[in-house]
Amino acid sequence: MGSDNKYIRDHSPRLEDLFVTRRQFLQRTGMGLGMLGLATLLGEEFLGSKVAAEEIATLAPKAPPLPAKAKHVVHIFAQGAPSHVDTWDPKPALAQYDGKPIPGMDGLAMASPFKFEKKGKSGIEVSEVFPKLGELVDDLTVIRSMYTDIPAHEVATVFMNTGSTRFSRPSLGSWVLYGLGTENQNMPGFISLRPGGTPPGGSSNWQASFLPGLYQGVSINTKAPGVNQIIGNIRNQYTPLDEQRRQLDLVHQLNELHSQNLQKDAQLEARLQAFEMAFKMQTEATDAFDLRKEPDAMRDMYGRTPQGNQMLIARRLIERGVRFVQVWAGGWDHHQDIEERLPERAKEIDQPLAAFINDLKQRNLFDSTLVIWGGEFGRKPVKDRNGNDNPGRDHNAKAFTTVLAGGGVRGGSVYGATDEFGAAAVENKVHIHDLHATILALLGFDHTKLTYRYNGRDFRLTDVAGQVVTPVLA
Amino acid sequence: MNKPPFILPGVLRQLCPALGFLAAIVRSLGAEPTPSQLQFFENRIRPVLVQNCYKCHSDQSEKVKGGLWLDTRDGLLKGGDTGPAIVSGDPEHSLLIRAVRYTDPDLQMPPKGPQLPDSVVADLVSWVKMGAPDPRTATVAQKARTESSKSHWAWQPLRKPSPPAVQDSGWARTPVDKFVLAKLEEKGLKPNPPADKRTLIRRATFDLIGLPPTPAEVEAFLKDESPDAFEKVVDRLLASPHYGERWGRHWLDVARYSDTKGQVRRQREDPTYPFAWTYRDYVIRSFNEDKPYNLFIIEQLAADKLPASTRNPTNLCALGFLTVGDRFMEMQNDIINDRIDVVTKGFLGLTVTCARCHDHKFDPIPTKDYYSLFGVFSSCAEPKFEPVIVKNLGGPDYSDYYKKRMDLEQEKDTLEAKLRELRRKGDREALRNTLRDLRQNQTRVSQLELTHPAAPPRAMVLEDLRRPHDSPVLIRGDAGNKGPVVPRQFLEVLSGGYRPPFTNGSGRLDLAWAIVSKQNPITPRVLVNRVWQHHFGEGFVSTPDDFGMRAEQPSHPELLDYLAARFEEDGWSIKKLHRLIMLSSVYQESSANNPRYAQIDPENRLLWRANIRRLEFEALRDSLLAIGGDLDPTMYGRPVDIESEPFSTRRTIYGLVDRSDIADVLVNFDFANPDLPTGKRHDTTVPQQALFLMNSPLVIEQAKRLVALPEFQACPDEESRIDFLYQRIYQRPPRPEEIKLGSEFVASAPESPTTSNNDAAVRPISNEISADRPMRFAQLGPQGRKGRGVMRKRAPLKSWEEYAHALLQANEASFVN
Repeated sequence: MGSDNKYIRDHSPRLEDLFVTRRQFLQRTGMGLGMLGLATLLGEEFLGSKVAAEEIATLAPKAPPLPAKAKHVVHIFAQGAPSHVDTWDPKPALAQYDGKPIPGMDGLAMASPFKFEKKGKSGIEVSEVFPKLGELVDDLTVIRSMYTDIPAHEVATVFMNTGSTRFSRPSLGSWVLYGLGTENQNMPGFISLRPGGTPPGGSSNWQASFLPGLYQGVSINTKAPGVNQIIGNIRNQYTPLDEQRRQLDLVHQLNELHSQNLQKDAQLEARLQAFEMAFKMQTEATDAFDLRKEPDAMRDMYGRTPQGNQMLIARRLIERGVRFVQVWAGGWDHHQDIEERLPERAKEIDQPLAAFINDLKQRNLFDSTLVIWGGEFGRKPVKDRNGNDNPGRDHNAKAFTTVLAGGGVRGGSVYGATDEFGAAAVENKVHIHDLHATILALLGFDHTKLTYRYNGRDFRLTDVAGQVVTPVLA
Repeated sequence: MNKPPFILPGVLRQLCPALGFLAAIVRSLGAEPTPSQLQFFENRIRPVLVQNCYKCHSDQSEKVKGGLWLDTRDGLLKGGDTGPAIVSGDPEHSLLIRAVRYTDPDLQMPPKGPQLPDSVVADLVSWVKMGAPDPRTATVAQKARTESSKSHWAWQPLRKPSPPAVQDSGWARTPVDKFVLAKLEEKGLKPNPPADKRTLIRRATFDLIGLPPTPAEVEAFLKDESPDAFEKVVDRLLASPHYGERWGRHWLDVARYSDTKGQVRRQREDPTYPFAWTYRDYVIRSFNEDKPYNLFIIEQLAADKLPASTRNPTNLCALGFLTVGDRFMEMQNDIINDRIDVVTKGFLGLTVTCARCHDHKFDPIPTKDYYSLFGVFSSCAEPKFEPVIVKNLGGPDYSDYYKKRMDLEQEKDTLEAKLRELRRKGDREALRNTLRDLRQNQTRVSQLELTHPAAPPRAMVLEDLRRPHDSPVLIRGDAGNKGPVVPRQFLEVLSGGYRPPFTNGSGRLDLAWAIVSKQNPITPRVLVNRVWQHHFGEGFVSTPDDFGMRAEQPSHPELLDYLAARFEEDGWSIKKLHRLIMLSSVYQESSANNPRYAQIDPENRLLWRANIRRLEFEALRDSLLAIGGDLDPTMYGRPVDIESEPFSTRRTIYGLVDRSDIADVLVNFDFANPDLPTGKRHDTTVPQQALFLMNSPLVIEQAKRLVALPEFQACPDEESRIDFLYQRIYQRPPRPEEIKLGSEFVASAPESPTTSNNDAAVRPISNEISADRPMRFAQLGPQGRKGRGVMRKRAPLKSWEEYAHALLQANEASFVN
């Protein structure tokens, strides 16, 4: 013990040194409880040893089984269910029927209060609420024929993120992390950014569920004013890093003794990993979340707003090799006052997302990053009768739009269509499971083969469904 | 999912008697069709329906449209969302006929053409005229659905099963044990041996009061060799005022408690609930008093209707259960929906709000039952001023409060008058300014009420409207699409055949009585399951807020019923329920692993051992403060700041809960989402939890306090110091190898620790209040700061402090086993 400590003291606390002590610790404790977890921490170094690699839950980067361009995912979740007929899916028929009944439907048609205009070389029509994204339409695939099962926010939000309405299931990001590992072992591989509050469904949206705990998303509140608040307690104000390393080693040893009488519990295992990740984040994450390190021009390009900050953080995370970033950009539940409130929401994300795409392009990250924007369902073409004099639209599970861009996506294209009024997807319909299958395909996976055995059954993100939407692949 | 064909044969056999019964009902509905009428139906009508309608309106449909089934006579007569499809004998008033005639542009069937030939339409008209003779009874699939939903265990009458016979009668201390043991023996398993006394007192203390036992309490228990030693511990803990703080918090999870309103137009409305805490205190008090659970339910629904509330207005605070929910931008239907949700999930374990737009997909809860409850809550409203519950008004402080409040009221009146004036004039700029002033006036009122020491506490009551009314069914949840009006009454599935309309005002009291009625077996089952879950980590039913048909079968259905029946017999006493459970052998098992058993029953559903449970954030934080001797035991009162430095050292339950922006530390530790009733929290493991233990000044200061304690300083040697820390933190002495680890760690510490890596030292890092967090403690004023700790300098840790800090971070401090 003594000599190890001397070793640490005589060196500056570089992370490589710390891993050496991890290995020594392993040897000393005879690879007890912590073995699997520590093997994970050692990651690539350890895989050559006699422990079979496939038995170990690891964050080490892995190549996907199929060729793929996309290596990272940024999923911008427009929670609340944006109205597709006011954003990406123009319906001139609604103007004709404005205020009149639509055949076969309850309620009175409501024309979109917003103008649509053909944009880019592709001439795709985009609503005026997205002026900057409109300019980038040649980079986007607009899927206009999305549909889902249940038009209730919490259920549908969790469904979009986990592929299940009923049971606790791993989230999309957890599956991706499980499949691909992550490139930066000092940062969580799956980070969920939220601008204050918690979305409906809370941690179900980034949970690992039955996947090992290290695939769980790490939720970060980006609303806090500085990096020390964004990740609470990221700094220790009392103990220097090398001393803290020594302390954490003691904690692991205490845990090892404590657990000898207990079951080898997956939760205790996950805790060991969480402490190690926390330790590493103290140096790495502080930097990743510190927007003061960005030049003023860059911050202005994204906009100094909550969503501007989130998208800029997302870019800093992607740059550092984080595998999956979920960005919550909600507030789209417009039962009333849609004319006033929808443009506010659109404005929040228009500039930041456009800046993000342009920035990725400049850094040669666009082709390797899959960008997803969309909500959990769409809205009806008729006036919501629960609303007041300034109408909005009610929930609609039968039609909505999801936009894809970047890695492996065919830009400047529209896929699928809704009916004349936008009431339901009718042509080339894309279900949530199909979208998930497609996302996995873009990352190099056959969605039927990315499985995890739990309780005697092989589970997958797409359950027993899902068709890859090949036309959206470049 | 609607079609479970694979189970049909078995079900069919069971249903034979029921089939005959149903057929009898159908026949009794109309005159028996004659053979020639039936022939007409079979030749001319049935093929038309099958070919043109069944795709969307039958059990074969992928999705049934408009809630209309045309594959049974019942379906036709009952109709869909827009009413009955046919009026027997009256084609001109039959929607089906209107639809096929294609004369109404809004109602045309088949929807995308082609129109049915005139001859077919004429056949249909004749058929309706002759009374729509129709031999089709419910399809097999439909019957399977209704039958299995009728026989679902959760709404079967409650009987008290006799404890089964067991082999190892020595182990079975209570009837509870017999039920558990019988299941274990079925599988050839034996329960774990009992936990040692230290583990047991630690488990019981955390379970009942959410704090660790003190070394003295442990010592006393170890010394007490009487047979009822543990019983005495349980009784002592049940009598502790901290009990209500622990179990009250469990209930506040269910009650989706928050000190703020959630979705409001912040430009126009202040988001604070200045009096939510009076409901929180009511809950704590009720648990401490062991208020019978049925009374607890009645008060939370209808305290204003009870004569006792006139004598004790504090009871009115119970109504906060209904009123502390989200405000949903003042969308009344959503507010009512939230109230139905909290009542039905909370007390009944049913997801009734699924039936807002359509009949419940899984449970026998039709939309009309939802609107029966809707009528109750749409017959209520919050009064303009919440009633004062403490009448000690007077004194200089009160005069000060009173004057300030009156000034604000006057300002409000002036502003409102001005507003009316400006509206008439149409001066938009001035209008906007006045609205802003009004909004500020509102915030000042809220802040005054929340912080002024003499502001009288008030109850967040709900009152009946003068003219209570039944609600129409809102078809597909659409307020503009009114269906038939339904009486205010209880859910059919739980009414046991007796279902009188509610007549007492809005019907809240009637509803409460129905919920606690002997006829309704689910209420005690749900409560017993909740209590069991908090003792064992998992309930008999793993979805505590959903006992419907989607829920898994209970692990121990007979035991659940036995406990539910005992609970009723024992006067709905939750404390007696704790005793019964905790004095059983099954509660006292050790948590040791058994690899063979873990293969057979990996989830430990059979309870062959005690589960290892992570402490919830409240228990973790409170225990850290208690270990450091820093816990402020003050009970009750307005919310405090637990989030930013200097931290309040009050118990975590007194911390402010802002549903629109929950404190990150709570989110990171899986705090219950205050937007929904939450019977079971998530259990995630994330790095931020580790960061809290590693770096939070709150935690580190406790390590420093421990080492500064005179008892620690008085320890003569290393070994006794380590022993002291172990006793204090883990309630046990250290093992030799632990002593060795400890002394090595302390001995090899660097000689002069430095704080090398931080520029943030000696500066609180989390008390910056950002401009976009309006509702926070910056505004709580002196009251919010009361009970706060003091700011401490970030002095570098000495080796013993660092060691104590390591002990606080280790798993043993965060888990109960």
